[in-house]
Formats: sequence, C-alpha cells, structure tokens
Amino acid sequence: MLATYLFFGLAMLAVLGALGLILFKHPMNGAMSFVVTLISLAGLYALLSAKLIFAIQLIVYAGAIMSLILFIIMFLNIQEKDLPLDPNRMFYLAGGVVVVAPVAGLLIKIAKTIESEAPELAVGFGDVKEVGQLLFTDWLLPFEIVSILLLVALVGAVVLAGKRGVN
Amino acid sequence: MITNYLSLSILLFCLGILGVVSRRNVFIVFMSIELMLNAANLGFVAMARLHVNMDGHVLALMVMAVAAAEAALALAVIILLHKHKGNLDTNIFSLLKG
Repeated sequence: MLATYLFFGLAMLAVLGALGLILFKHPMNGAMSFVVTLISLAGLYALLSAKLIFAIQLIVYAGAIMSLILFIIMFLNIQEKDLPLDPNRMFYLAGGVVVVAPVAGLLIKIAKTIESEAPELAVGFGDVKEVGQLLFTDWLLPFEIVSILLLVALVGAVVLAGKRGVN
Repeated sequence: MITNYLSLSILLFCLGILGVVSRRNVFIVFMSIELMLNAANLGFVAMARLHVNMDGHVLALMVMAVAAAEAALALAVIILLHKHKGNLDTNIFSLLKG
C-alpha cells in the first residue's frame, strides 16, 4: 500500500519536473526542475528494487551530468536578453500535443495489456554483486565497447573545446 | 503495478519529444533528449522487475554511460557555437545550409 502511494507521489514529481523543463523560459530554472525529475526517477528505481541503478542514477545523473550542465549554463552567464525569443512556442507546443497525444494514448493502451503483477523477487535481485557478475560475463563485449566510446568522447571533447590560439 | 511504471515512462518520453519540438533554446533541447533517455531507462528497469531478470539493469547502465559521453560532447559543441555566434538559438545554428 505504501509502495503505491510512494509511486504516485514520485510519478507526480517526475511529471511536474519534466513539465517545468519544457515550460520555464530560462535554462537555469529548467535544469533545476529537471534535477527534480531525475531524483524522483531514482526513487522509482528504488521502488523497483534496482539498488545499483538507484545509486548510479543519483551519483552519475543527478550528480555528475546535471552539475556539468549547470556549470556550463552558469559559465556562459546567460542573461534574459540572450535567450531566444520563442514567440510561437505555445503554438508549436499545441501542435506537438496534437501529434503526440494519440500515440501516447495508444502506447499506454498497449502497456495496459501486459500482465501487471510482478512476481516474487529472487534473493539479491538488483544488488551490486549480481548486476556486476552479469556485467562482466554476459555483457562483457558491450562493456568494452562502451569503454571505447567513452575514450572517443573524451578525445573529441578535448579536440573540440581545447583549441587555443587557433582562431 | 508494472503497467503504471510503463505508462509513466511513455508519458515522460512524450514530454521529452514536446520539449524538443517546441523550444529553441539549445540547452532545453539537450535536456529534453536526456529526459527521453531517462524515460527509456525507466522502461528497462520496470521490465527487468516484471521478468525478474537483471539484463535490464545492465542495459540501463549502458544507456547512462552513453548519456554521459553525449553530455560531454554536446556541451563542448554548445560552448563552441556560443563562442562563434554569441547566441543559444537553435535556428541560428544552420551552418550546413546550402
């Protein structure tokens, strides 16, 4: 029973944060509101007993990635007059709702046909040890490919942002 | 129970699409893409709980790694474009127009 209340509270916070992200004018306000969404998603992962994903969502997403984005937003020192004017933003938003809402309704209807009651949990489901064992046995090749991807992204960021004296 | 999580995931993904199509601020567009990645992650973890199988958790970890790489590169590009154009409007960034 408590889990249901917690789910609805966290889901409402997540949706409100996402709405704030797409409606606030200044990116700083949008980013703070997106942090709310990320933290409530971490709570939802905990409700789904994904303990490792819960911790990593808080540390990597709400911690590292969002503080990087906030740092860049503050670093660029954006004033009100620098923002794009966006005069017909509500028009595009209404058009987007008209297109997306039927698709969303259809998808939710399909999701309702899935059998909903989750079975009993196995011991250690979602623990660091179990997920780590899976990561280093069945998912070893994707794991190594991700390490190459991170290296390429690192080199690319240095090449893009580190050009001094060229211009 | 799992159905509710999947519905929330669909809702968040659609909000991300709306953010991408309706806003012109490049930061908001970027964070809306992050929102869509998070919605997909929620779907993975909910399905992992439904099938009591942890492959979904590993896949969510992979998505987070890709999102981190994407954030590093996208922010570098945003800084460069802001330095060149002095603006954050996605309509200004039309360098590839013929």
